[in-house]
Amino acid sequence: MAGTTGREPNGAGVRTLGVALALIALAVPVDAAAKTRHVWFLDAAQPTPVQRTAPGVPALVRSLLAGPTKRERAEGLRSAIPIGTTIRGVRIERRVVTVDLVARFASGRDERLLTARVGQLVRTLRGVPGVLGVRVRIEGGVPVGLFPGYDLRRPVVEPLAEARAPSLRATQRLLADLGFMAPTGVTGREGDETSTAILAFEKWKGLPRDGVLDKDVTSALLLTTRPSPSRSRLGRRVEIHLGRQVALQIVDDRVVRVFHISSGAGGATPSGSFRVYRKERMSWSVPFSSWMPWASYFVGGIAMHEYWPVPSYPASHGCIRMMARDAPLMYTFATHGTPVDVLWEGA
Amino acid sequence: MSRVFSLAVAVLALGASSASGSSAAAAAPATPVAVALGLGHPLLQAGVVRGRDVILARGFEVELARVLARRLGTRIDRFAYVPSTRRLLASGTSSWQLAVAGIERASSTGARLSASYLTTDVAVVARRGMERPRRLADLRSGVGCATRGSAGATVLSSLRLRTTPVVVAGHNRLRDLLRTGACDVALVPAFEVGRFVAGHQALLGPVVGRIRHGDGLGVLVRTGAGQDVGTVNAALTQLRRDGTLGRLARGWLGLDPATLPRLR
Repeated sequence: MAGTTGREPNGAGVRTLGVALALIALAVPVDAAAKTRHVWFLDAAQPTPVQRTAPGVPALVRSLLAGPTKRERAEGLRSAIPIGTTIRGVRIERRVVTVDLVARFASGRDERLLTARVGQLVRTLRGVPGVLGVRVRIEGGVPVGLFPGYDLRRPVVEPLAEARAPSLRATQRLLADLGFMAPTGVTGREGDETSTAILAFEKWKGLPRDGVLDKDVTSALLLTTRPSPSRSRLGRRVEIHLGRQVALQIVDDRVVRVFHISSGAGGATPSGSFRVYRKERMSWSVPFSSWMPWASYFVGGIAMHEYWPVPSYPASHGCIRMMARDAPLMYTFATHGTPVDVLWEGA
Repeated sequence: MSRVFSLAVAVLALGASSASGSSAAAAAPATPVAVALGLGHPLLQAGVVRGRDVILARGFEVELARVLARRLGTRIDRFAYVPSTRRLLASGTSSWQLAVAGIERASSTGARLSASYLTTDVAVVARRGMERPRRLADLRSGVGCATRGSAGATVLSSLRLRTTPVVVAGHNRLRDLLRTGACDVALVPAFEVGRFVAGHQALLGPVVGRIRHGDGLGVLVRTGAGQDVGTVNAALTQLRRDGTLGRLARGWLGLDPATLPRLR
């Protein structure tokens, strides 16, 4: 009896436990899904989200302050927030989260780190549904000027944009600043003018010549200074770099424009110092039976002129081929007597 | 805005009025004083405003206030927050006796401005590869750039350059123009130039000098409140002579603008 009476309750207990486990099994995914959020760390200084399960906003902030796990650190994740930073309080009011942190959050003088840590906090909290802004408080007070780029006197709605690849318009602006394209070409739209400018830039920098805006071009653009002439001489002049396949317009030792060109194949363009001696708006090439618009002759029958195509390598019979857009500019610039230095240097 | 507002320090006597004069100040026991900050320019001062106080204060002017207080034989008890020069000057009834302020000019019957502790001149940064300008006349043939509304823009407009000056929105764009050679020289407030070139030296040319602009930032001394302007001037001179000001400037601003040669 004792055994039977003892088994009955046990059986009920097992059933109850089973039901409870089933309920838990059903409930857990729902619960976890509802509270799985992203905290933001840094991967090579770029903001990177990582999943955390936190039961509420304070727990989420604590997860952020705890930093990446050992495994995440091994994968390269870092946090700009100093270890040991703790929360003094978290309050949500009118969909704005106010986070009050200890002084440690504002420690250090590295401006990038200070800015990045506010960015991490704002990104993390703005990811919580319904949160419209984040107010940061330090030791109960309002930080002023401590976190460059952020005005923390009012709630932060968006984190500062991190340094990433410039937009097409910004790239065009850089190309124009460097002299590879005209300022009028800064349109924010892709096109032949931008590709040609990129090609000229690639030639100047010794990058693969494809006219495509890729990672290498972008990083080189951000670290490049304006091309400088090979020779020093006052006044207006032209330098043609046969190795790089570019022509430079120079005024008083300052490069004002860099053009993509194609010179003579097989060394057909002679190097040396010449001067423009003849100019023809429409020149007829007798040996090749071809029109050469905007021709500025500088040695023998060799001229800078418009032609199509202008490949990225030496392809002409000796002349300097230029794009239709660029040739008139060179024609106007290279007046009679303008020095033209044709230089050979490694590409 | 030609005037750099970086209201720095107002020292408030917490106790009763104390004796004035350098010897008296030096001999007196350390009387705790409060220092008011305006937090107007993050490069010069920053902190956390809590009530009427500033905690976790830092920056060039904050450190200057600390060393100046030591030289004056006192110590800082707290930093008070006074968000505008006008409010500081208007607070005739307040108890502050000394305002070592980042103010260029101050017209008040209750306070006098000391000698300058930081220049408001404009520094000239050349583009890389450019022949180093040695005189103002050397700048006239080039393309000059500055940020909109800055002291640099004011100076630029007075230089009578041959080409139209380029005025842009911020330091990043200004740096781009200088790096890419679209500008030959950039004019930047001298106390900001250290930060302007920091990390970009390889892509920019040298800081070639500075152009006189304004009278510098000075210390506001409240009359009849325990300190006098002569004492503060003497302390500032000593700080300049013994290299303390230069050290603070290099530490917080990246470069001591006082060491830049004046272009004439």
